[in-house]
Amino acid sequence: MSAAILPPFWPLVEAHGDELLVHARRIAGDAQGEDVLQDALLRALRAYPRLRHAEHLRAWLYRVTTTTALDHLRARRREVLTAEPPPIVVEPGHYDDGFETLIGVLPETAQAALRLRFVEDLDYDGIATRLGCSAVAARQRVSTAIRTLRTQGIPA
Amino acid sequence: MTLPARLLDAIASAAVREGLADAVYTRLNTPIGTLLVVQGERGVVRLGFPEESADLLLAQVAARLGPRIVASDRELAATRDVLSAYFEGDDERLDVPVDLSLVRSDFRRSALTALREEVGPGDVVTYGGLAAKVGRPKAARAIGSACATNPVPIIVPCHRVLPGSGGVGSYAGGPDRKRRLLAHEGTLVR
Repeated sequence: MSAAILPPFWPLVEAHGDELLVHARRIAGDAQGEDVLQDALLRALRAYPRLRHAEHLRAWLYRVTTTTALDHLRARRREVLTAEPPPIVVEPGHYDDGFETLIGVLPETAQAALRLRFVEDLDYDGIATRLGCSAVAARQRVSTAIRTLRTQGIPA
Repeated sequence: MTLPARLLDAIASAAVREGLADAVYTRLNTPIGTLLVVQGERGVVRLGFPEESADLLLAQVAARLGPRIVASDRELAATRDVLSAYFEGDDERLDVPVDLSLVRSDFRRSALTALREEVGPGDVVTYGGLAAKVGRPKAARAIGSACATNPVPIIVPCHRVLPGSGGVGSYAGGPDRKRRLLAHEGTLVR
């Protein structure tokens, strides 16, 4: 028996599935979006009965989708790396499979923007307030950081 | 919702395949309205009429079987076929596994089990008659409660239980639906 009374899972998918797909595509690329979402929702189902409370379920689904999308990016990156010598040598042994490690290769301002977006689940106005910049600039920082991760920065 | 149906289907089927679904539900269009059918590992656990809140109904199942509930027409194809065959008059036996774990007392469970096993299509029984079948001939009112709270109507045929005083009596899906189900089975009620 789980400690929390959790709502049935599928209505959450019906309520948030479309925005999660957009999110998955934004991080992992259009072609990977559906695979990422499927993988993310199965991961979410595996973890669901162990959740301690039923609050912030949308933000939780965003987090699971973010992690899954970054894992997919990393796996693809690894395929590329095995095909050719790695351009950058990443120190082995410090990889903890976490979000922080994934974004660790980015500049601090980019890391901060991603944390506010995907860990704290803030919208761009919220991120702008925290970073002391405009909402447009906040959106730009997030999207540039994601683009950087997608094109080069995923540590193997 | 704008997610493509084939993506939702793929996700739900993968969840079932990997044993991640506590229950699966489907909506079935029938001559008496769109029914919500929820099935767990052991069988159909809940059947809802269109007037019932789907959210409440699924929450009720979640509280008993677990919250990992997914929707899939494909995974419930066999059950859908059995119900469709009933409504089309091809096969009225409704031979599908049923899980009575949402029934709250042993008495009610045994009454509903006896009803399902002993009162087939075209047959009817009175509340008192069903009470006698489960060895409690004076418990007609309790039988009424068992029928009123039947979590799996139609498949567990509480529409075949009638008042001894005549008439169609009450029904969770409304007396009109009860009359229509009985007429469909060839039973005419005054």
